[in-house]
Amino acid sequence: MSTPPPVGPSPPVSTPPPLDPLLVSLQLTDSAFPSGLYTLSQGLEGFAQEGAVGPEGLGELLADLLRHGIGPSDSTALALAHEAACRADWAVVTEVDLRLRAAKLSRESRASAVRTGRQVLDLACEVFPSEAVRAYAEALARGEAPGNLAVVSGVVQAGLGVPRRQAVAADLFACCAAFAGAALRLGLTDHRRAQVLLRRAAPVLESVVDEALRRELADLGGCIPTTDALAGRHERAEARLFAN
Amino acid sequence: MNDTVLRVGVAGPVGSGKTALIEALVPMLVRAGRSPAVVTNDIYTQEDAIHVRRTLAGVLDPERVVGVETGACPHTAVRDDPTMNLAAGAELLERFPDVDTLFFESGGDNLTLTFSPVLVDMFMFVLDTAEGEKMPRKRGPGITTSHLLVINKVDLAPYVRTDLSVMEGDAHRVRNGLPVILTDCLTGQGVDDVLAFIESRRTALVA
Repeated sequence: MSTPPPVGPSPPVSTPPPLDPLLVSLQLTDSAFPSGLYTLSQGLEGFAQEGAVGPEGLGELLADLLRHGIGPSDSTALALAHEAACRADWAVVTEVDLRLRAAKLSRESRASAVRTGRQVLDLACEVFPSEAVRAYAEALARGEAPGNLAVVSGVVQAGLGVPRRQAVAADLFACCAAFAGAALRLGLTDHRRAQVLLRRAAPVLESVVDEALRRELADLGGCIPTTDALAGRHERAEARLFAN
Repeated sequence: MNDTVLRVGVAGPVGSGKTALIEALVPMLVRAGRSPAVVTNDIYTQEDAIHVRRTLAGVLDPERVVGVETGACPHTAVRDDPTMNLAAGAELLERFPDVDTLFFESGGDNLTLTFSPVLVDMFMFVLDTAEGEKMPRKRGPGITTSHLLVINKVDLAPYVRTDLSVMEGDAHRVRNGLPVILTDCLTGQGVDDVLAFIESRRTALVA
């Protein structure tokens, strides 16, 4: 005969956090989400056309782009826009948006960020409606904010309760996935090594996210002179697959 | 986008005559008092955009022709994720509010290509006789579901052993009554009928 279990108070059951914010991030940054990211190579095609990167250098190039380009510019803007959107401070969101546009030196990167951003915001009004999305869309319609994709992503995710760190990470991962996809289509890698590249970028991505969360508006802006120079050449290239 | 604008997709394999069809239609539209503009989806170069601008010099302001990069995915650019085409179209309409006919030329693709109904109001699929008599029988959503199937380069049929009556008959059979028009875009043969079809869609869709 077994002894019955002792009767006593049950241990407290903690309610798991809701999955909805995670689902929002997953959907918004999924490669199948129509954000136009597949038309962007994050500058990789410019490097490939110059012969400045080969299959072996992809990981290093991606890490450099994340640390010195996307992280200090787009990720930082996303983090700042998210924070401001959470307190409905649309003047600051707009300021971040304008600063990000000013920090993008090449015409291609400026145009791509706004083209994708405006379309995603338009779509978000239907797919991810929130007070934040509505207010920011109005600022765009008035011509006050340019509508960079990173800022749009920050506002959309803030509007649906996605934590700031997760929002920045999800967006940065989407950029990495777009880079890996571009490398595949440029013949610089294959489907297996592309996934290894993506996975190996994780530690860099983690540190870049945390640095972006600490930056202030005055520090917004990346600087990779080689990328800007190659973007200038890419803009005038006779043939190209990608918009940047 | 503005609901008074008729947005027309033009799809079809590389070299079938999509650009030539647009280049034949635009002057006719202009003569009819219409105000067209063109978005081209070049796969790798700006060749189509440059060709359209050059051919239509004096007829269409070159600024009304823009090229869009497709990231090596021409089908994605007009169907699964038309973001960049929507953006290009919106920018064109912002710059030229008088535009009433906006063409989206696909980058040249296989027979499965269709357009997102969010991007265009109607789409035409262009085949040509030199691709072979069998093409309509291969079906594919582009051939079977496009609002209009154009069989171009009818003048070449005898030289490439294509029996035009077979090709046209098959096209009608696989399309279950949807229209088929035979053209030679370089001489203008049949292009009047294409224009009439577009205008009939405009009447039905844009009002």
